[in-house]
This record gives sequence, structure tokens and C-alpha cells, in this order.
Amino acid sequence: MLIYIAKRMWQSLILAFIMSLIVFMGMFVVGDPVEMLADEDFTEQDKIDLAIELGLDKPLYEQYFTFAGNILQGDFGVSYVHNRPVLELIIERLPATLEIALLAMFIGLSIGIPMGIYSGIKSSSKPSRLISFLTTVGYSIPNFWQALLLILVFAVFLKWLPASGRGDTNPLFGIEWSLLSIDGLRHMALPAINLAIYKICMQTRLAKSGTQEVLYQEYMTFARAKGISKQRIIRRHLLRNILIPIVTITGLEVGGLIAFSTVTETVFAWPGIGKLLLDSIHMVDRPVVVAYLILITLMFVFINFVVDVLYAILDPRIRYQK
Amino acid sequence: MQINYFKLATAVGVCSALLASSAGADTLRMAYSAAPSTADPFKSSASPTASLNEHIYEALVSRTDQPLLATSYEWKDNTTLLFHLREGVTFHNGAAFTAQDVVYSACRMMYRVDGKKNMLTSAMSPLTDVKVIDDHTVAFTTLKAYPVLPEKLKSLSILSASQADFTAPLQYDNTGDCGITRYPTRAQFESGEMANGTGKYTLESFANTGDADLVRNPNHWSDGGNWDRVEIRSVKNSGARMAGLLAGDFNLVENPTMEDLESLKDNDAYSSTSTPSWRTIFLILDVGSEQAPGVTAADGSNPLADLRVRKALSLAVNREAIVERLMGGMATVASQFSPSYREGADPTMPDLTYDPEQAKALLAEAGYATGIKMELNVPNDRYINGTRVAQAIAQYFTRVGIEVSLKAEPWSVFKKGRKNRDFGVFMYGWGHPQGAAQMISYAFASRNKDLNLGVSNYSNYHNTDFDAAMEKWAVETDKQASHGYLQAAMQVAVDELPGIPLYYQHSIWAHDSNLTVVGRPDERTFADMVSPK
Repeated sequence: MLIYIAKRMWQSLILAFIMSLIVFMGMFVVGDPVEMLADEDFTEQDKIDLAIELGLDKPLYEQYFTFAGNILQGDFGVSYVHNRPVLELIIERLPATLEIALLAMFIGLSIGIPMGIYSGIKSSSKPSRLISFLTTVGYSIPNFWQALLLILVFAVFLKWLPASGRGDTNPLFGIEWSLLSIDGLRHMALPAINLAIYKICMQTRLAKSGTQEVLYQEYMTFARAKGISKQRIIRRHLLRNILIPIVTITGLEVGGLIAFSTVTETVFAWPGIGKLLLDSIHMVDRPVVVAYLILITLMFVFINFVVDVLYAILDPRIRYQK
Repeated sequence: MQINYFKLATAVGVCSALLASSAGADTLRMAYSAAPSTADPFKSSASPTASLNEHIYEALVSRTDQPLLATSYEWKDNTTLLFHLREGVTFHNGAAFTAQDVVYSACRMMYRVDGKKNMLTSAMSPLTDVKVIDDHTVAFTTLKAYPVLPEKLKSLSILSASQADFTAPLQYDNTGDCGITRYPTRAQFESGEMANGTGKYTLESFANTGDADLVRNPNHWSDGGNWDRVEIRSVKNSGARMAGLLAGDFNLVENPTMEDLESLKDNDAYSSTSTPSWRTIFLILDVGSEQAPGVTAADGSNPLADLRVRKALSLAVNREAIVERLMGGMATVASQFSPSYREGADPTMPDLTYDPEQAKALLAEAGYATGIKMELNVPNDRYINGTRVAQAIAQYFTRVGIEVSLKAEPWSVFKKGRKNRDFGVFMYGWGHPQGAAQMISYAFASRNKDLNLGVSNYSNYHNTDFDAAMEKWAVETDKQASHGYLQAAMQVAVDELPGIPLYYQHSIWAHDSNLTVVGRPDERTFADMVSPK
């Protein structure tokens, strides 16, 4: 196991290195930070001074080595726009993203899996056909459009929920959470639902196809023949066996939700890291974008690792493999 | 009868809480279209950041030339500018405002906090001294005549010297050391911890997302401060911003789209305010290069070098139609490169005519009846309706026989292309915060480092009459005379057309209809331009 972990870590380091190279070069091509920061009445000298301050006067490879060297010492650089350490900015914004991502995933799993199992078992019933129709609709409407519809219905017409922002927050472990206040929850509702719709649809479909596959396996027939209760068959034999693909996808999806909820965060003005990424790209705030994407790469590597461990817990065959 | 005091107390508590929240009528909630990046008043002059900081800090003179912390100013001689300061003003922390604070603010502006230059120090090198004359008079001295100094100083927010450590009286120097042993740190300024101005509002909280909460300053020297509380949020997506207004999250939002304004017309609960701004939208033409990038003619020459072609381009564009149809009337047809209503400009300058037939005739006369190919570059996320206007212009040019390809790019990409001089023709806007001469002095004058002229001459335009007028303007401290030089230069630019003026953009706000909004021409959004009806 230790060798396995070490190998995974080595792989992830190489991945992060490649990622940093690609992102750094990419951002270099896109825009000129000095032009974005400079006022219209900056003289050439002002712009040169600014470039020197930001270290942009040096050749590209030198900039990259300085940057990479700093990262190895845990210094991800300072934002051009906010003038604050990038890591600090990202960490400050992270809780906002984490809480809607996890809430959305929770909604997705807790509605999607039961719905999927139900429609897998009773695949020709009317409710099941309705479910499969709704999931198709949910899948096909683009995310930003769903967001605007949600705002239109719940915020503009019904005026039940606020359309943007994070609302009041309450502290836990020194971090501010919207989850812990009524106003915060009201603000969370729409963006979380927006993110959850797609997840519900996906989990439903995964659970459904898994159920249909497992349902006709011999061990299921055998379990029924043994006279085990229906509840127990579903919980113990069906659920466990359909969980492997669900866990895989959920892992990747949680990563996706955390890293790239940019559309939802932008439409709902939710102050998470997705919005930070988008704003930073607009402003050519290179340190933020590069650091962000490297951290996200590491996060995905970590999530994949956790998923692998979960496999072993769920499936004894994987556990006992040499 | 037994009274449950606990229940009673709870009921009273709930009632008073409800009452407190209904007092929200005195709270103004505004949605900016871009987020303020810092609470440091000297870090950026970008509109959202400057708008936020104007609530907290004041300058000596307002952007529209209203006296703020100075009651008046005068040029004592060509290089000495005297400000007479307002008496009885206090900072949010209670410290009294004196001339010392002005010197301190100038020092802080020049000082490189953590080795970083402030954005606003650009072109401040002529400033040699800032001196306390008496408690309420301060003198700014420059190395040579520098008439735009009062305009530059409009962005000098006045901070309180009480936040720094120094022993002897402050001695201004252009490194900002000034005998100060300790400045507050960059982080203290950026986070708003050191937000201590004289403005109408005090900063209650500022987040790195740009969200800011402000409270009325009861001790302000005027009776200003229309609102007990001001909440500034920013929503970049225009649809979501409008939804926030309709959902009641906001009382006022910046920059609604034309489509949204159409749908708002039928709704009595909301209205909109449109105010002519100081921003001119124009095309810049590369008239001086042998080959203008992206522009070709059959004979291999640069057609833009021919005045007849430039006149034809100007004649080909129907500005009235752009303003009426595309901008819904919320723009003003341009007659020159600065708004004709900007102080110093000649308001009687005749309109630029629309005559496609004459345009064709001029092109034929110049030998370019056919064969001109032109790439028109435009930022697609910067100006109101920018891409659609550029499409319209491309069509107008096509009608007079020019083959146009439109290239719309995000602002960040566009700006890099402009800097690399990749564009022969591009659309641009200039906000003119420093007076009517600002754009032409930067964009059309020949490069003159001493006088800071021609910094962004992407037209590669050189004209001796124009340069002569601008060089006189650059050292003239008398307002009337300086306006004369400016107008002479503007006349040359309009005759020679190194660019094509299009229209003056308006600033637009959508808001609850029970609010009165008196918009500002400098594209900032300030709580006190809004008042309850």
C-alpha cells in the first residue's frame, strides 16, 4: 500500500509540473497584465516600472523558474489585482464553493440514488417513465439557462428567494459558513439547486442502469429464493453492487463542482473560487489563474486516490488482489 | 392570571426586530457591474474601486470641479498651486483635518508601500514640493509649468496623518519618505482596516470579493449622506444583475442592457436614468505608417494616409441611426473627440455629416473606389453595445465599397494587440476625467516626453499645427487661454481625422421608481447621487 501511495504521489507531482508549464505558457499568450493594470495616462516609463515590479521584464523561462521555485517553497505568488498572496485569496473563497458543492452533491445523491433504484426495479411503471423524461430534460437544458429560469421563477416572480450574493454567515472553526444561518441558507438555495439538478439526473441514470444490470444476476435470484426480505436485498445486495460506478463518478463530480462551478457562481454572484478564477482570467491576473489550476490538478489527483481506496472498501475482490 | 414573561419578551423582541428590518427604507443597496478590487484609495483608478473609495475619502476638489476639502485654489505663479482648505472638518476617527494631512497624503501617494508603486502616481514627476503654509493653506510646487496638476490632484484622496508615525513636521520628497518612520502596511490599506477618510460614509466591512458595507458619517461637514446605510455588491452578469433588481435584492443596478430597459418600460415599479458621460467612442486609424496593419489597397499603399479616404470613412457612418436604433437614444452623436459638453471643448462644433454618395465620390477621386480591405478591431466586453456598433460600422463601410472584416476580442486580448500595434483600425473609448484635451493630447500629439504628450499615438499622426497648439496648451495655466489652444488643436484633429469620432456614451442605471437618481458624467456610481423621492 505504501509503495502504491508513493507511486501515486510521484505521478501527481509530474502531473502538477506539466500542468504548471501548460498554464503558465497559456497565460503568457493571452494578455498583457501591464496593459490591464495601467491607466490610460501611463507613460512608457510608468509601464516599464510596473513590468519590473511584477517581474515581467525578464525572459519567459526565467519568469517560470522564479515562479516554480517559489511554489516549491510554498509561495504561490501575489495577485496583481488584489495585491495579496494568492493562496490566501483562494483559501478565503474556498468555503463558499465547498458548501454549495457539497450541498449540491448531497441533494444529488439523496434524491438521485433512490429515484434511480426505484425506476430500475419498476422500469415500466408510469412514475418511472416520468422520471426518465425529467432526467432527459434536466440533462439537456444548459446550466446557465437553468440558473436564469430559477432566478426568474423563485426570485423575480415569486420573490421567495434572493437572486444573488451569499447572505449572512456564521463562524465555525474560524471559517464563515452560509450553511449556519437562515439568511445564508436562503441565499444558498438557488445556486445549490442549480448545481444539483444535473447531479440528480446523472445519479438517477447511473443508479437505474446499475440496478437493471444487478437485478438479474444469479445472486439476486438466489437471495430471493432464500427468502430474504425485499428491504434487505435492496440494501445489502443491490445497493452495494451498484455503488462502484456511482462512487467513481461522484468523486470526479465533486472535484468538478469545486473547481468549475464558474457559471453558477457568476450568475448568482456567489463569491466562491469559480468566480475568482473567471474574474482573474478577465483581468489577466496570472498568478491567481496559474496557482488555481495547479491546486485543482492536485485536488483531482487526491480525489482519484480517495476513490481508489473506497473501491477497496466496497469491493473485497479489489481489496484482496495482489 | 399568569403572564408568561418569557413569551412576552420574545414577542416584543421579534416585533422590534421586524420594525428594525422595515427601517431598511434608509438602506441603499447597489449592484456594481464590476467588483472593487481594494479599499486602498491609491491603488487603482478603475471605476468600481474609485467609486467605492469616494464614499469613504474626499479629494480637495471633486471631479466635477466642486469644492470638497479645499474651498478654492489658485495658481500663485506658473509652478505654484495654492489650495485654501476647509475648516472644521474631521476624519472618521475624530482627528481634525489640516494642511499636514494633505502633505501626508501626497507622501503616501508617492511612497512605494512594500516596494510597489501606486497606480495614481503616473505623470506626477513634475511635483517637487508640497508645503504647509498655515493650518489651512497648502502649496504644491512643480519643476516646470504643469497645468493639469489640479486635474491630477482630483484623484488624491486625503488620508489622515494620524495613521503614521513621524516626529518632525512632514517634509515632502518624491520618494514619499518624508521623515515618516512607519506607514500602515499595504494589507491594512487593502483590507480597509485603515479606511479613515473625511467622506460621507464610513466603511463598516470590505471583503476581497468587493462587497462593501458603509454607514452614514454623522459628522460630515455638509449635511450630506442621503442614506443611513449603503451596501455595495457586484454582479458581473447583466441578466443576473437585472434579476437582482427585480427580485428586490438591489435598489439600483449599473449598466442594464438595452433589451432589459425595453422590458422595464412597462413596469411601474422600476425606472431608469441615463446621463451623458465624458466617454467618447471613436475609431483610431493608422494614418502615418507605410502599411497600416490589417488594411490593404490594390496598389499596395496605405489608403488611410489619404485625407480623402478618412473623410469618406467619416461620411459613410450614420451616427444618428447608431444612436437612435442601436443605443435606444441613450448616447449622443459626436462632433469631436471629447464630448462637446466637457469643460474646455467648443460646444458649437458642427455635427459630422452622413453622406454615403459623397463618400463614394471621395474614394473614387482618391483612386480607391474598390480594393480597400480593412480589419476592424473592437473589444467585445468593454463598451455598451460595442460589438453591435462595430457591426453597424462595418456595414456602413461595406456600402461605400470597402471590404471590412470585423474582429471582436475580449478586452484583455484586445489591449495586448493594441499595445503591439497590430491594429490599423480599432474602436476605442476615452473617459476624459482630466478635461477635454486629455484624449487628443495622448492620442494625436507627436511624442514629447518633456510635456507628456503623445503617449498613446497609435494613429502615428504628426501635424505641426496640431503639435504647436498642444505644446502651448501643455504649459498654459490660464484656463481661458488653455481652452483656446485645445480648441485650435481639436479643430485640426476634426479636419484631418486621424480617427473617426462616433458618439458620447451615456451612463445608465436601472432602479426602483421611488428613487431619484442624478447621474454623474464620470461613470462612477455614488450613493448620494441617489435619493428617496
